[in-house]
Amino acid sequence: MKPAPFDYIRATSIDHACALLAEAGGGAQLLAGGQTLMPLLALRMSQPFILIDIGHLPELQGIAPHGGGLRIGAATRQADALVNPLLAQALPVFVTALAHVGHHQTRNRGTIGGSIALGEPAAEMPATAVALGASMTLRSTRGARTIAADDLYLGPYATAIAPDELLVAIDYPAWPADAVPLFREVARRPGDFALVGLVGALAIADGRIERAGIAWFGMGPTPIRARQAEQALVGQAIDRIDVQAIADLAIADSAPFDDGHASAAYRRSVGRRIFANGLMQALDRRLAA
Amino acid sequence: MSAPPISAQRFIGQRVPRKEDGRLLTGRGSFVDDIILPGMLHAAFVRSPIARGTIRSIDTDVARAQPGVHAVLTQADLAPFGVTMLSFFLGPVEVAMTPLADGRVAYVGHPVALVIADDRYLAEDAASLVVVDYAEEAAVVTLDDARLGPRVHPDTDDNVAALMGEEEADAALEALLAGAPHLVSQSIRHQRIAQSPMETRGVVASLQGESELLVHITCAGPQLVARWLTLALDRPGLSVRVVAKDVGGSFGLKNHPWMEEVSAILAAMLLRRPVKWIEDRIENLTAANQAREQEMTLRAAFDTNGRLIASHADYALNNGAYPMGADANIAVHMFLWAAYNIPAYSFVSRGWYSNTPGLAAYRGPWAIETLARETLLDRAARQIGIDPVEIRRRNLCTAADQPSVTPLGIPREDITPAQCLEKLLEVVDVPAFRAEQAAARAQGRYLGLGLAAYIEPTGAAGSIAVMTGELAQLRIEPTGRVVAVMSVHSQGHGTQTTMAQCIADQLGVPIEDVTIFDGDSSRGGFGPGAGGSRQGVIGGGAAIRAGRLLADKVKAVAAHLLNASPEAISLSDGMVHVAGAPEMRRTLREIAEIAYGEPGRLPPGMETGLEAQYRYDPPPMTFTSAAHACIVEVDADTGFVGIRRWVSSEDCGVMINPAVVEGQIAGGLAQAIGSVLLEDAARDAQGNPTAATFKDYALPTIFDVPDFEYVHADTPSQAEGGFRGVGEGGCIIGPPTLVNAIADALAPFGEVPVDLPLTPAKLMTVIEGQPWPERPVSRFHPDHRAPEVDAPAPVAPAVAAVAPAIAVGIDGAWKLVLATPMGPQPMVAHFQVAGDRVTGRLEADQGSQEFTGTLSGDQVRWEMKVTKPMAITLKYELTFAGSSVSGKCKMGLFGTAKVRGERA
Amino acid sequence: MSEHRISMTVNGQQHRGLVDGRLMLSDWLREAAGYTGVHVGCEQGVCGACTVIVDGRAVRSCLMLAVQADGCSLTTVEGLAAADGTLHPVQQALKDNHGLQCGFCTPGIVMTLAALRADGARPDEAAMTEAMSGHLCRCTGYQGIRRAIRQLAAEDGTP
Repeated sequence: MKPAPFDYIRATSIDHACALLAEAGGGAQLLAGGQTLMPLLALRMSQPFILIDIGHLPELQGIAPHGGGLRIGAATRQADALVNPLLAQALPVFVTALAHVGHHQTRNRGTIGGSIALGEPAAEMPATAVALGASMTLRSTRGARTIAADDLYLGPYATAIAPDELLVAIDYPAWPADAVPLFREVARRPGDFALVGLVGALAIADGRIERAGIAWFGMGPTPIRARQAEQALVGQAIDRIDVQAIADLAIADSAPFDDGHASAAYRRSVGRRIFANGLMQALDRRLAA
Repeated sequence: MSAPPISAQRFIGQRVPRKEDGRLLTGRGSFVDDIILPGMLHAAFVRSPIARGTIRSIDTDVARAQPGVHAVLTQADLAPFGVTMLSFFLGPVEVAMTPLADGRVAYVGHPVALVIADDRYLAEDAASLVVVDYAEEAAVVTLDDARLGPRVHPDTDDNVAALMGEEEADAALEALLAGAPHLVSQSIRHQRIAQSPMETRGVVASLQGESELLVHITCAGPQLVARWLTLALDRPGLSVRVVAKDVGGSFGLKNHPWMEEVSAILAAMLLRRPVKWIEDRIENLTAANQAREQEMTLRAAFDTNGRLIASHADYALNNGAYPMGADANIAVHMFLWAAYNIPAYSFVSRGWYSNTPGLAAYRGPWAIETLARETLLDRAARQIGIDPVEIRRRNLCTAADQPSVTPLGIPREDITPAQCLEKLLEVVDVPAFRAEQAAARAQGRYLGLGLAAYIEPTGAAGSIAVMTGELAQLRIEPTGRVVAVMSVHSQGHGTQTTMAQCIADQLGVPIEDVTIFDGDSSRGGFGPGAGGSRQGVIGGGAAIRAGRLLADKVKAVAAHLLNASPEAISLSDGMVHVAGAPEMRRTLREIAEIAYGEPGRLPPGMETGLEAQYRYDPPPMTFTSAAHACIVEVDADTGFVGIRRWVSSEDCGVMINPAVVEGQIAGGLAQAIGSVLLEDAARDAQGNPTAATFKDYALPTIFDVPDFEYVHADTPSQAEGGFRGVGEGGCIIGPPTLVNAIADALAPFGEVPVDLPLTPAKLMTVIEGQPWPERPVSRFHPDHRAPEVDAPAPVAPAVAAVAPAIAVGIDGAWKLVLATPMGPQPMVAHFQVAGDRVTGRLEADQGSQEFTGTLSGDQVRWEMKVTKPMAITLKYELTFAGSSVSGKCKMGLFGTAKVRGERA
Repeated sequence: MSEHRISMTVNGQQHRGLVDGRLMLSDWLREAAGYTGVHVGCEQGVCGACTVIVDGRAVRSCLMLAVQADGCSLTTVEGLAAADGTLHPVQQALKDNHGLQCGFCTPGIVMTLAALRADGARPDEAAMTEAMSGHLCRCTGYQGIRRAIRQLAAEDGTP
């Protein structure tokens, strides 16, 4: 298990990396944390001609307030984000989800943007971006553009990021500090990809849900927003919610499949249960508070 | 030899820190990949991407032309070496087999070519450029495929790799089963397991001049590897030295070299350069030999009191394409009911060839028997309506039931499974648990308690020729340091510590003063290495006896020097003491300097030096017993199993080092947890591996394994030191303990099929009342297409007439070869025909025996009883044709072996 | 294929070399720098045996290129014990508790725990155990590792 030959280039700036991407015409691969890419290289499942290292670029690091929400530089290390006070305060559910990404050792190198750009359908970060309504800033020699997380994921490991584009930052809109966090993950072992997972937040005002963002992971070819469930929740009094009915709506939006670890039927059944239980417990906690 | 008083023992029984740990904790171990030799080249294999087919062509030209590439080898290059691939029993494997594929490929991962290059990167680059053209055929993957599909090997009659037991139903036994008040049947399936030592396989081979082959290899025993290679290479004048200092686990995988290691060794001989091959993890998970993949239907009949009447097992084991010994797993049947009292047992057992990696050993290779029996007992308890504890109490073999012999002839004298169970129940409060369980169920939480009991044969030597005794060579050096060269070998067993404990006690020295050398076939004596939970029992016995011999010599020398009687001399604290005369004490160094350097001061006629050796062979069987309990909670929302408590109650006799004992139990239990819940080296219908990384082959993590609790009994065995083996037990008793707990937890929902692994998805089907996931129907099933029917075997003509001409042709001596599961047995048979009566004599290495039989046409039949390895009756049936003879020998429960021969 | 001049500090010793872009850090450490205590168990980033400390953090050396470590300060398992042979507290705790058998996975486990405790940090049992989920051990069933963690936490007063 040794990588096939490639040219390694340490980019000196975002512009440099974009120029290299444009020049390579699809034959290049970006390297940030490398925690997913390196095994793929070693397995020779990925055989780029050029590997462009962007992991160290200062322009891609950091977590800062931006437009009312938070902006996370794409190459921010997961371990750094995990202990970031801004994130802990503004988006606690993001931190909860992040703690489930890989292992301590891989989070020490893995990046937020890398996980988001990879588009693993059973991973936590893409679904969290969808649920919280994040948007991504992409750069290429053609310019910059922004794309909503909802529009980013096309299929397993397939995203709307063009071969010459680089994910620069992820913007998470503001959620109320007291938003109810939702997070449930069913995985064979710690650090494994989810068999079934859900992540989201509920903004509550005057005892009613005024905003809901919920997404599944491991429940289809991409992270999937539980759109019907969100719509049904908005406007409801939190002590009057039929969690089973909401869970049914959430499952209706999922599209699970069979794989070596679990069947689609399992994912659907367990998804319904953890959704209903997760929602009920989250609401109960809020009602008790 | 005088035994030292018990009080002299200071280290046996203590949780002594391990001597190995200092180097391993600081990165100073010496594993095979740490070996770097001048001029060393690196190997990478080209492997078959298909499970079954023929090789039309191999084009190595482009690969060979790459920079840094020294050779691209195929079987055509290796064939001139004439290597004979051998089984674990050191006989030629039963099917045609070559180090690299010879025209046909038989599993995904089958090595087809070998690239030798300056480094592994370049070797892999070139390997990807070798072009192989295959003609693919439908693969035989599962046991059903093997039963129904085409032959895996062109040179066999069918896909049965090994057959034991009774193929025809035993009418008397069937009557017992059918007529019993309770008949319980349990069909179980165990998935394929990858042994997964953290260190993969690997070898560094180099010729040292013309006459020595130096092989660094990660293995279970360097002497066995040297023996295997010497026989396999069969090159007069070539000495094989095998070195393996530190080994990163084996668990049965590394017993002896296989295709890859042999190919790399031949490459080193061919290129006359050191060659290193280190298996990568994808190779290890997809192409290394594997284990388990078994099915069994076990039936047991009980009387109205829940006591066993009779039992029958129908068992199948996937041998893969090239098993490291074709196997129908006789031990499964020998020990299936050995811990229990049962009047009658019969079985049929088949190993099957398939287009998958070959069968290797795995910790407790026969463990399926405990899984089948203990899960059946729980099922029986539910069916009959008695408690799982009670059904075991009524049937376990107690002290009062011994000595006794099982239906398969296993003598029991000191097994203690019933005592282990009672000791277990002193710490596991079953009634309290039942109350907790009931309360939890009322809240929708599902707790379960699993119990299991078993015995296991350990420390075997002599019953299988390759499993020999162990040698300890011991010396007190002139410096006073104690050095032992042992034939045992650690793959994590800590034998450098435990053997030192045994020796330190005999010589009365601090353990720091004892050094154990092992891991080099050029030093010390022969031993087969780890396997069958043997090293503590046999190596420990050898260490003690050699230590005792040496202590006696020290005493004799000291007594002579100090004008004392040997009885007055004692050894402690590294000193020689004289009773009643403390001022006379001497250091071992003082005694040793004289013993080596001043022959004139020794007793007349005494050999100089302080050296001793002892080769220890233990009693034929040393049993370890245990009973375990575990408590689980199954999450009814997810099907996940949480293990809340696990208690082991075992009797492995005198413990050399309880921390090492508990480490062995814990490691086995962790692997059991993996087998039951997580691991699956599955192949798809085309024979492709579905778990090629540790992401998909899910080993237990720290979060999957609970804290284990231990209860120790210490019934001394009859072996030296009173030790009993403990290496495999956790992996044998663990699976049913956990499966029973899960089944108990989910009993409100129905029975849980024993179809491992018990994934959350499978368990949810029980919780939700859905059908258990069905296995795909074999592609060779009639529903898919008509099965291939082999041509019927030629039937011997049923002619009773005696043909004198043939009889004349039979008289005299014949050279015969009996193909037994333990390798070929050469024999010479002498026949004397008189009418239809034949008398004769069979001569083998073990001795000769007379027989009387009958002649019918050109066929001679006779029966003879033998006592080794067990009391069985051999039934020979030979057909003579000119100067050749062929036929079979029915060997009771060992199945049927082919016989071939010619005139002597 | 690109070649790169790199230099890094390993266990306080300066190392320089010329490496191919694709050379994995684990291979560089083992073969070029001679730190064979870095064990390669899977090259898939799962088993954790190759874990080393790079600029203060425990990382899997099979998931880094050697060129990426250019300019970094590394510690391998060879660099933990004191010059007089005194074991690092993590090493001592594992030894005290029979936390290893074959010892192949052990260097990675040692490095993760050592990194967590670097610079006077005193992680509690839960934090150390959580980090252990990134290590596979096939021998011990993790019993001695867990005992070692408890011993470390008890020594620190952070159980």
